[in-house]
Formats: sequence, structure tokens, C-alpha cells
Amino acid sequence: MTSPLLRAEGLVRRYSSRQGVFGRVVPVRALDGVSLELRKGETLGLVGESGCGKSTTGRLVLGLEAPDEGHVVFDGAPMPASNTPEWRRLRARMQMIHQDPLGALDRRLPIGVQIEEPLVIHGHGNRPARVASLLDEVGLRPEHAARYPHELSGGQRQRAVIARALATEPELIVADEPISALDVSIQAQVMNVLADAQARHGLALLFVSHDLRVVRQVSHRVAVMYLGRIVEEGEPDAVLRDPAHFYTRALVSAIPHPSRRDAKRIVLKGDPPSPAARPSGCAFHPRCSAAIPACAQQVPELKLRPDGRKVACHLAHGETAAALQRAA
Amino acid sequence: MSIALSPATPVATRKKRGGIPPMVAFALFWIFAMLVVAATVQWIAPYSYTALDLRARLQPPVFMGGTWTHILGTDELGRDVMSRLLYSIRLSLLIAFGATLIGAAFGTLLGFLAAHLRGFVEQVVLALADFQASMPFLILALSVLAFFGSSLTLLVCLLGLHGWERYARISRGLAISASAQDYAGAVKQLGASPWRVYGRHVLPNIASTLIVSMTLAFPEIILLESGLSFLGLGVQPPETSLGNMVGYGREYLTRAPWILLAPASVIVLTTLSVSLLGDWLRDRLDPTLR
Amino acid sequence: MLRFLSIRLLRAALTIALVVTFAFVVLRMSGDPALLIMSADAPPEAIAAFRKAWGLDEPLWNQYLSYFGAILHGDLGQSMRDGRPAIELVAERIPATLALTVPALILKIGIGIPAGIFAALHRNSFLDRAVMVTAVAGFTVPSFVLGLLLVLVFAVQLGWLPSGGQEGWRHAILPIITMGAGGAAILARFTRSAMLEVLGQPYIRTASAKGVSWRAVVRHHALPNAAIPTVTIVGFMVGSLLAGAVVVESVFSWPGVGRLLVVAVANRDLAVVQCILLLVAATMVTANIIVDLLYGFLDPRLRSGVKA
Repeated sequence: MTSPLLRAEGLVRRYSSRQGVFGRVVPVRALDGVSLELRKGETLGLVGESGCGKSTTGRLVLGLEAPDEGHVVFDGAPMPASNTPEWRRLRARMQMIHQDPLGALDRRLPIGVQIEEPLVIHGHGNRPARVASLLDEVGLRPEHAARYPHELSGGQRQRAVIARALATEPELIVADEPISALDVSIQAQVMNVLADAQARHGLALLFVSHDLRVVRQVSHRVAVMYLGRIVEEGEPDAVLRDPAHFYTRALVSAIPHPSRRDAKRIVLKGDPPSPAARPSGCAFHPRCSAAIPACAQQVPELKLRPDGRKVACHLAHGETAAALQRAA
Repeated sequence: MSIALSPATPVATRKKRGGIPPMVAFALFWIFAMLVVAATVQWIAPYSYTALDLRARLQPPVFMGGTWTHILGTDELGRDVMSRLLYSIRLSLLIAFGATLIGAAFGTLLGFLAAHLRGFVEQVVLALADFQASMPFLILALSVLAFFGSSLTLLVCLLGLHGWERYARISRGLAISASAQDYAGAVKQLGASPWRVYGRHVLPNIASTLIVSMTLAFPEIILLESGLSFLGLGVQPPETSLGNMVGYGREYLTRAPWILLAPASVIVLTTLSVSLLGDWLRDRLDPTLR
Repeated sequence: MLRFLSIRLLRAALTIALVVTFAFVVLRMSGDPALLIMSADAPPEAIAAFRKAWGLDEPLWNQYLSYFGAILHGDLGQSMRDGRPAIELVAERIPATLALTVPALILKIGIGIPAGIFAALHRNSFLDRAVMVTAVAGFTVPSFVLGLLLVLVFAVQLGWLPSGGQEGWRHAILPIITMGAGGAAILARFTRSAMLEVLGQPYIRTASAKGVSWRAVVRHHALPNAAIPTVTIVGFMVGSLLAGAVVVESVFSWPGVGRLLVVAVANRDLAVVQCILLLVAATMVTANIIVDLLYGFLDPRLRSGVKA
């Protein structure tokens, strides 16, 4: 096995949020020890509810923000501090695709100019030909280069953003909910553009989404996040077929399925989670149907199971789990 | 303080969104005429602004019984009021333009610096902006003039400091919101240098807001310059500006009110026109700015 | 409330310190302060003594500190015109300036605020339009033009009032009107828009929908809320009274602080200028503190928020 292109270890990100103008400052752990690895040509899907820290993870692995604890290693070298010259040079090798293509594009410049911009910044030659081939690759016509973002459809804009991200032939792309702002009818097309590009260039792709089904289509591995931690990680088909963590089970059961009636659907009880008031032990225990007393006290570690799945749940590791369950 | 000098636009004038209201049309016409005068004064002025005619002192304008040789009459040294007025328009407009540009450039630069560096620099810029906004600018300007004496360059730079804090606040706020999640952040993660992010992306995007602020600041600067020149502390003779003409005309208020009335009405009409235009532009381009 | 006050006082001190720093920087940039502050024909011993007293031979940072110290002790230097302490010269001009600025302020508030409220309550009426047009004029007509026009009409043409000088109350009428008119117009326009904003709020509609009489709605809900932004602008006007006096006193040859400042600037009488600069800063800062305290009374949210 080759060494991974990207390795993140124990990433912790705290924000402070002030409650009211004169209120006290409350520390919020948006990320609570996230580790992940990504090899060349591999797609890792990162799934979770909004606020679970999946976007923050994306920003940290790109070095857009510095972690409070832990570190990111890219191609064997530590991530340089943001906005330094090395950091800027490294941008040619890693790129990001945002959720909202209209926001990510400058509304005052034609998209051709914007696709060319990373080439200008990183001093590439033969730019017009490169822009033309990028447009072609993402399925835009040459005349689109002269259009302004507001003159394009949502799908076309996201194609332009993808073209811009591919311009410097990066090795890593983080796509943060790249299709969730688009019409359902064009989501699949844009998804295909991204998947094709990933396969053709052998990209490492970190695909961040709240939608397990979309992640399953494109990912080689999938990681499920809950309140700033990865709770389960494994092959997408296996995870969907047989989810191990109770949170993943709830997510999977929420997917509408033609052959299944809603009888088996798990409806999460309790309040949606807030990282400002993190439950003790397993953060999911207040909403978990199978919680045992140990869940409220011990934080479950993300451990490898014999079948290759990683799960952070007291009840998901065979014998120990059974023992704990009987005791409860 | 901006709220005192650019209060909210009267709701009544907002009715017509499509066409140009007659008042604004007049304002545009007047501003255009002033610009033409400023550009062509050396060809259209009948006399030099320093040319004396001691035999024709204090002659009234045509409509007060004067002759066509001096349409707007002459002053105490027999200088043609019309010619002096035209040259004054040019100098006053040049000073106001220069000062407005300096203020906008300086303020925007500081605003961007504050937004980019945050932390201590941002606090210093904000504290200076608060200070600038809370001290009456006329007094600060007068003390600088007292220390350095008056020269045209100093005057332009000094007036350029007026209102910098508004551009600084606007550009800081917009730059922070732009770099937080939007296009500026996207460009930054492409590997662009701060110069590129601010110069090529943020600045063009906030230009319309800055231009509106400049239009609102312009009449204030005309008023300041004319006030200082009226007090004899702005533009110095033999150069002539609108305020300067009013100041000297004041001595002859009883015998020759025309010397003073002509520049006074140009000041009022010009500030009125630019304010009207500024209010109108603000409503059309940037309703968020108040 | 104590914490609130101490923060305000700290900010006030900071502003004053900035003004002193400003004066120091400008003073140092413009040449040898000993020669500038002392009169040109001062004996060399006096200049040497001044240099020593103000520590001009020491490093700049020490100079800055001792400059600060001297000002804290009330040592503001001497006027180079007659050698008297600058602070005395300024102090004796203050009553004359107050004789204009206080009535002018009363005029601004007494006309501006009621006119603004009236205009807002009778929106689009003839009087509303008139108030707005006057307000625009009040902003675009500079006070020296207005003053001279008033002189032209009431002193030169009609001969009702004197055109300048300070011999009696009749001499004060035109300057007071000149000073008050512009401010009244700005205040009217500002009060009107503050009122209109408040009148458009949901709680006003709720109150009148509940059957509270319109008069009571205006008195108990609209006016107190519109007062908050208006107080800010009035505070600013109080603070900048002296600035307004500069031009008007010059137009009417009124021997107040403003006139003194113009003369001092023209003669580069730096000690006097610096003294007036500090006086203006002190007025401004005091006005700001008063406004902040008034906020506390007008806005219960701020009051409780501060206590917490």
C-alpha cells in the first residue's frame, strides 16, 4: 500500500461563541479529534447533518484554517501556515469546490477569465488553449467563456467552478456539497462531470455531503460524522447495507426506498445536536434507541472491526458489545 | 459625521424609479456645465483672472445697469468678475476632486488593511476612524494650517483627509464579508496574493458603493474648501477660488454685492446638484448605504 | 452603571490623548517648537529655558511624555502676540461665544425637532414638503453665504439690524439665526426620518390596532424611540458648536473663540491654536458622555444590559 496523499490526525477546531452582547464566551468544539487518510485516486465521502463539522474538516485539510490541535500532512510534508508563499504555491496542487457556485464566482468577470485566473496566478503558459480544453472537459461550449456568471444556469456555473478547480491539475480536491444548491434535474449531470474528472486525473477527492445516496455513487470509502467526530467509516455499499453505528442506521433508514415501507424507519428522537452543549460520553446517546449507561460516561473510540469497518460505538464491536448489552 | 450631512432621502422623490427626475436632470446639467467650464476656462473666459482695469472699478453687472464689456461687473481692482468666477470654478472643482480621490484612496486602503490584518491594526484603524468622526473636521484642518501655513498641495491633502473614515468603514466591512465565504475566499484559495484578491476582485465589486460615497462627500469638501478660503486660510491670492471670492467680496457687500453673489450662488447650486445626484445614485445603486 | 461610566471616561481620556498626540506630532513636524511657540523676539535665555522646560534636548519619546505632563499641569504656552498665557486669552473669549452658541442651539432644537416630528406625522403634506426643501437648503447653503445674505437683506437693504460687532443684543440676532438655521434644517430632516422609521415598526401598528389612541401611540411609543437617534445628532451639534462659531463669528466680526482661532491660525499663534483645539476636544468628549448617559435613560435595554 502506498503512503497516503493526505493524512489528517486528531484535528480539533474550537470556535468561541458569545451568548448575547454582554454574555460569557462559550467555547464550541466544532471538530473533536478527526483523523482521516486519502490516497491518490481515491474518493472519500464525508456525510453528516449540518453543523456536524464536515465542512470544517474540508477547510482544515486544505489548510484554509489551522487546527487548534492535530495536524495535516500533504504528500509527506506538513501543511504550511495559511497565506504564506508556500501555502499559496501549494494551492496549485489542492483545490476546493464550493456549494454555491454563484457566490464562488466573481460576478464582474466573464467565466473564461476566472477559469484562467489560477493559471495566471501559478504562472502557467499556453493559457487560452488550456482554458478551451477545460471548458470542453466540463461540458461547456467555447462561447460560454465570454459569459458572466449571472448569464449562466446553476449547473453551468458549477461546471465553470469545477473547470477552475481543475485548471492547475491539482492532486486533491475538496468538494463541499457541490450539487446541493442545484436543481435536482441537473445534479446527476454535474455529479458525473466531477466523477469523470476524478477518474481521468486520478484525483484524491474529499466529497462532503449530507446525502448518503450521492456519496455512495462516487465514493470508494465513506465516513459518517456526528458532532465533530467520525462515528463510522467503511465501504459505501457495506455501510448502506449494514450500518453499524446507530446514527448511521437512522441516516440509512431515512433514505426513501421503493421496496420498503416506512415501518422500519428509525425516527431520531430528542433535540438536534449543538456542538455548544455536547452530551457526555457518546455524543449520540441522548438520541440513541439502544443506549446503555456506559454510553453516557465513556467516549467510544473509532475502532477497526474484523470486517474492515471502523465504528465508534460501544455496542458495535462483537463480544464486548454483547457483554455490555447483557449487563445493561 | 455622515448621518448629519447625508440624511435619508425624502421618500417623496423615490416614486419614479425608471426615468430621471427633473431635479436630477437639472443637477446633471449643472454639473456638466461646471465640468465644461473647468475644462475650457482658458478659452471661454473673456479676461485673465488677474487682469486689472483700474478705470472700471466696481462696475455693476449687465442686469444691474452695467455694460456688456463686464457681464457680471468688476471688483474693487477692476478685475472681471465673470472671468474670476470661471477660474474659481476650475480651481474649486480641482481641489474638491483631488481631495475626494485622496480621501477615497486613503480610506479604502486603510479599510482593506484593517480587514486583511485584523487584530491590532484593525483596532487602531477603527479607533482613528472614531476619533476622526468625533472631532469637527474644520477645527482639525485649521490647526494643521496654523502649524504648516497654507499651500495648495497641503490644502488638497488636508481636505483629502476629510471623510476617509467613511471609506475605511465601508471597505473594511465589505471586504470582511467578501472574504468570509464568497468569491474573495474562493480566489484566495486559488492561491492569489492579497494584492490580487483586493485589487482585482474586492475593489471592483465594492466600487459602486465607494463611488456613491464619493458623490456624497464631494459637496462637503466643496463647502469646506470654500469655508477655509472664505476665512482667508484656504486658497491664497493671486489664485482664486469660490470661497476666496466670497471672502474678498464681503468688504464690498454694501457697494458691490454682485462680487459676492455670483460665487455664492455657484457654490450653492453646485453643492445642491452634487447632493441631489448623490442621493439619487444611492437610491438606485446602493439602497443599503444610508 | 459604574462599569459603563468608567468605559466612557476611558474612551474620553483616549480621545483627549489622541488630540494631544495630534498636536504634538503636527508641532514636531512643523519645525522647532521653541521658536514657534515663543515669540520671535524672545530673548535667547528664554528660548533656552523653554527648551529645557519642555525637554527639547531629550529623546522624542521623553519629549512626548513631558509635553503631555505640561499640558496636564495646564501649561499651554504663551500667545506670541502679547505674551499672555494662551489659556487666559481663550477663556476671556468664551462668554462671547456662548452668547451666540447657546441661543443658536436652543433655536436648532426648538425649531428642528418639532418641525421634524410635525413633518413625519403629516407626511407628504405641504408643510412636510416645505420642511424638506428648507432642510436641503440648510445643508447646501454654507453658513457664510447665509450670513452675508442676511446682512445684505436686513442690514444693508432694510437697515433693521446692525451688520456686525458686539454692542448689544440686536447685534447678536443675525449671527444666532445664521448659526441656528443650518442646524435646525439638518435636525428637522433627521428627526423626520427617525420618526418615520419608528412609525413603520410593527409595535406601532400593534399598539394602534389594540385601540390605543393615535395621540398616545405617538407620545408613549413613537417619540421615546425616535428620541434615541435624535439625541445622538443633538450631542454631536453640542460638541461641534465651537466649530460652527468659527465661520459665523468671522462673518459678523464677533469677538469670540472662533474669531480668535481664525486670527491665531493666520498669525500662526500656535499656543492659542493648541489651546482651542483642546477646548474643542473637551467639549466634544463631554457632549459624548452626556449623550451616552442620556441613552441609558432613554433605552432601558442598554441600561439593564450594562448592569448585567
